Amino acid sequence: MKKLVEIKDVSKIYNPGENEVRALNHVSLTIGEKEFVAIIGQSGSGKSTLMNMLGCLDTPTSGKYFLHGQDVSHMTDDEQSDIRNREIGFIFQGFNLIQSLTALENVELPLIYRGVGKKERERLANAALNSVGLEKRKTHRPNEMSGGQQQRVAIARAIAQAPPILLADEPTGNLDSASSKEIIKIIKRLYSEGRTVIIITHDPGIAKQAKRIITISDGKIQSDIINPDYKED
Amino acid sequence: MGAVGEYIKSAIASIKNNKGRSFLTMLGIIIGIWAVLTVLVIGDGLRAEAGGQMESLDVVTINASLDVTKTDKYFTPDYMRTIEQDMSCIYGITPSISWWGTATGKKRAYDIYFSAGSEVLAKKGDNKILYGRYFTEDDVDDSNYVCVISQTAARYLFGYENAVGETVDVSDADMTVEFTVVGIREDTSRDKDYAKNDSPALLGDVPYTAVARAYNKDVNALFTEVTAYLHKDNKEEANSKLRSVIENVLDIRGDGAVKIKSSSGMDATADTILNVVTVVVTLIASISLLVGGIGVMNIMTVSVTERTREIGIRKSLGARTGSILTQFLAEASILTFLGGIIGIILGLSTAKIACSLVGFSFIVNPVSMIVVVAISTGIGLFFGIYPARRAAKLDPIEALRSE
Repeated sequence: MKKLVEIKDVSKIYNPGENEVRALNHVSLTIGEKEFVAIIGQSGSGKSTLMNMLGCLDTPTSGKYFLHGQDVSHMTDDEQSDIRNREIGFIFQGFNLIQSLTALENVELPLIYRGVGKKERERLANAALNSVGLEKRKTHRPNEMSGGQQQRVAIARAIAQAPPILLADEPTGNLDSASSKEIIKIIKRLYSEGRTVIIITHDPGIAKQAKRIITISDGKIQSDIINPDYKED
Repeated sequence: MGAVGEYIKSAIASIKNNKGRSFLTMLGIIIGIWAVLTVLVIGDGLRAEAGGQMESLDVVTINASLDVTKTDKYFTPDYMRTIEQDMSCIYGITPSISWWGTATGKKRAYDIYFSAGSEVLAKKGDNKILYGRYFTEDDVDDSNYVCVISQTAARYLFGYENAVGETVDVSDADMTVEFTVVGIREDTSRDKDYAKNDSPALLGDVPYTAVARAYNKDVNALFTEVTAYLHKDNKEEANSKLRSVIENVLDIRGDGAVKIKSSSGMDATADTILNVVTVVVTLIASISLLVGGIGVMNIMTVSVTERTREIGIRKSLGARTGSILTQFLAEASILTFLGGIIGIILGLSTAKIACSLVGFSFIVNPVSMIVVVAISTGIGLFFGIYPARRAAKLDPIEALRSE
């Protein structure tokens, strides 16, 4: 199994000094290609910090982060932007669609920042929307869609430019159970199509959908197990 | 580069989403450009209006008069010719008199107003001969009944413009003289104004000797005042020489009887006033543009705050600092660019109305339009830098967390 994500002895300290908060405390973690991982923890456990770190939104105070073998722990803002664009598809709890743009335009965004030409961009964005079953909602704006539909647009946006990693932060947190099932189904399918999926959640029900479950609390990894109950859909 | 097009597109979308606010933001720019443009275009019209005279500013005049309490001499035709010969720095010298009469042409009779002088009147800037010729030195010396009339006068009197060779009866009281038209000159704005009256009056030029002959006056005892026509470069030389030449020719040295008065250069004064007005309005407009620019900065800063989350989303998707910067700079400069365009439309409309009211020609200089557009766009770029940098420097985690 090839290493995709490799975190070595990473710490993240907020407010260094007397009131310092160790959000991550000497964490080491390796995730290979085509894995399906859930990172579970309560709020304040450090899981959001870990997710920001994995998503190249944040840099560690100490330790190293290798992505695809490349050290990304100390990059400039623009280098981080490029890495995010190329390597990571984000799926957020609050969908994070831009309200003034249509579904299609939202999905096109990462492709614009990638520098993809208009025609190719539209083709890729259409394909991504089709793959999440939203071919009829392309010209709708986020406020004209249900939460489940919005999250599917967000998924389409995350996969449009085919990044190797999908990073989902409480992807079902704002959804009813029917929509949640739908979203989990799509995420599982994306995994089975050969992507690496990392879900960050506090919900054991969601976590047990993954093949590998990493539990984090107090900024440390408490357990890292292969899910015995995992089943393919 | 294609990406920049996308940023501009998204900037336009964002302006459209906030139409009311965008318009209010543009207002300062609109008013500034409007004011500047109105004044510039009216100023150009005024300059063009003065253009005829401006051109003739190459030709200036000096007046010389005799103090009748100190001498009983007159400027006779012979004296005048001698003065001309002694002063190579002037074009010529002439008495300036005017003569009203009634002119009867083929069609009907009109009031006519003649400028009477020597052939040097041809040097006046507004005397552009279209057909025939101006009257000559010989016409003056021989007191020929010849005249030059304007295009309008020719049309009124004869029904067509090229009336060279036609004759016109000019009468005053009991006297009537037949004049031959030797030349037609181009209309000036005065010709049009005079002809517009309910009882139209026409304009023309005649030799002063012809007028004297018509009234049977002694041309040697008529004129105590003359005007010298000369090129402006010779003004100093002529000013210093004219008095002594006249005193020599008229043989009145030491009497202190000659008064010299240079033309005051009214046009230059008007030009100065216009320049002052332009500077003042430009200053006011600059302040308006400055305030407008600050307004743009203000609104863009608000917009960045409101759209913090959007900026966070864009960054998480891979937007570089430069992409966000470009997007907001594009938004600010498109805003002021549109303001500039609206200002130009309003300014040109106002100037067009104003010019047609006062009868100036409406001249649009394309270069100044381009400059105006560049300035307004530049204001957006300049005042957009601060908010755009603020947006670009946002921390994506913080930005994503904001509501």
